[in-house]
Amino acid sequence: MRSLNLLGRRAFLKNLLISVSGVLLSFAKAPDVVFAGFNFWRSSEYVGKTRDGIYEKFYIQYYKSFKRIKRDSWTLKVKGLCKNPQELSLDEIMAFPVIEQVSRIKCVECWSAKAAWGGFSMHELEKRVKPLPKAVGVLFRCADTYVEYLSLEDLHHERTLLVHTMNQNPLSDEHGFPLRVIVPYKYGYKSPKAILEIEFVEQPGRGTWNRIGPYSVDGTILPGYDHPLDRGKKRRRIFGGEIFD
Amino acid sequence: MYKIVISVGLFLCFPGFPSLSFAEDMVQVPSGNFLTGKKDIETSASLKTVWVEGFEIDRFEVSQEQYKKVFPDFEYPPGKDRHPVSHVSWFEAKAYCEQLNKRLPTEVEWEKAARGTDGRRYPWGNKKLRRRAHPSYSGMVKRIVGFNKKDVSVYGTREMASSVWEWTTGKTEAQYIIRGGLWNEHLDYEYSKTYDRIALAPEQRFIFVGFRCVR
Repeated sequence: MRSLNLLGRRAFLKNLLISVSGVLLSFAKAPDVVFAGFNFWRSSEYVGKTRDGIYEKFYIQYYKSFKRIKRDSWTLKVKGLCKNPQELSLDEIMAFPVIEQVSRIKCVECWSAKAAWGGFSMHELEKRVKPLPKAVGVLFRCADTYVEYLSLEDLHHERTLLVHTMNQNPLSDEHGFPLRVIVPYKYGYKSPKAILEIEFVEQPGRGTWNRIGPYSVDGTILPGYDHPLDRGKKRRRIFGGEIFD
Repeated sequence: MYKIVISVGLFLCFPGFPSLSFAEDMVQVPSGNFLTGKKDIETSASLKTVWVEGFEIDRFEVSQEQYKKVFPDFEYPPGKDRHPVSHVSWFEAKAYCEQLNKRLPTEVEWEKAARGTDGRRYPWGNKKLRRRAHPSYSGMVKRIVGFNKKDVSVYGTREMASSVWEWTTGKTEAQYIIRGGLWNEHLDYEYSKTYDRIALAPEQRFIFVGFRCVR
């Protein structure tokens, strides 16, 4: 009986120790592999959609996950209806006169987030490649196989930028390294990221999102509602076009 | 097949749809007081009573076909003649009306034409329509002007709570006021109230902004 009691106490203490350790461990920082989402992507050579960690304040949407782009091997291929098709390195892109602006990306799925963007005007690129008069717009092809169309009129808009920095830092892979477009008066799906190729075309085209979902070709932000991530997603009315605050 | 024939027949015969003669299809809004402003349901704050001189207003929003007759350089996709014109600045809308010896409505004219005299929330009354204002889609879905038979005011004006928003002469310091179109929430659309207003820079052109004229 005594031995049974002793065994019982030992077993009880052992179980208590395991339980307490378990509780303490649960408060400790878990290793990266425990999390799906952001930490998974951070620890991998791929980048993809995430809303975890720091991206709670600026969601990341990609069409498909893709291998992180290496700076030295990336070039921007510019082709189609232009006199001087060419491939530009990141250094060449970074040498264009830089324009900075603060603007908000408004996702068609209701959230929005704001950042300071740095980049260049489409006119700079056009000086190099000289589009033909019959070109009406551009198809962007991206690392995640996403395709988007923007008219030259939209690309020449004073608030449209081809962007390589965000908040004074080079774009992260998540935000579209090494080059993305910002069109602040259109829903976010009209601002393609991780661009690999630009093609000047003579007919208006359609983008991936427009082909697979209920998303308009035009993509202009309509009067409606916004849930800004930097304001605790508090619902507010917006009046169409760019959201300036 | 017979359904298509009947549908086309009804479509062509239905008197509510504007015909090609709709350029002069205007309705009379008589002189008199009307209730204006936003009624706060919780505090029951009262609406203001405002006098408006009588005027005539276009029954329908100006269509692309009508606009092109005045400004032949205007381009729009083929087959969309009777869709409401959009992508026009305040200046262009004003110029169009003036070419026809008309003008853009003031805000109170627009509002009275939309809600009548009794301070109603929507042109047709105070209750939301059961029917969805717009399919689940991220952009404007333009229909021919006059398509929405339910969106009609006491004076007979059409689509003052749906379709495109409309330029008026109301203004803030640097912007002009547009009234009466759809609000989009995450691909879910609602009709605007007769008192809803948005300020836009006059040079802006959007797919969701058109206009109608008064005289």
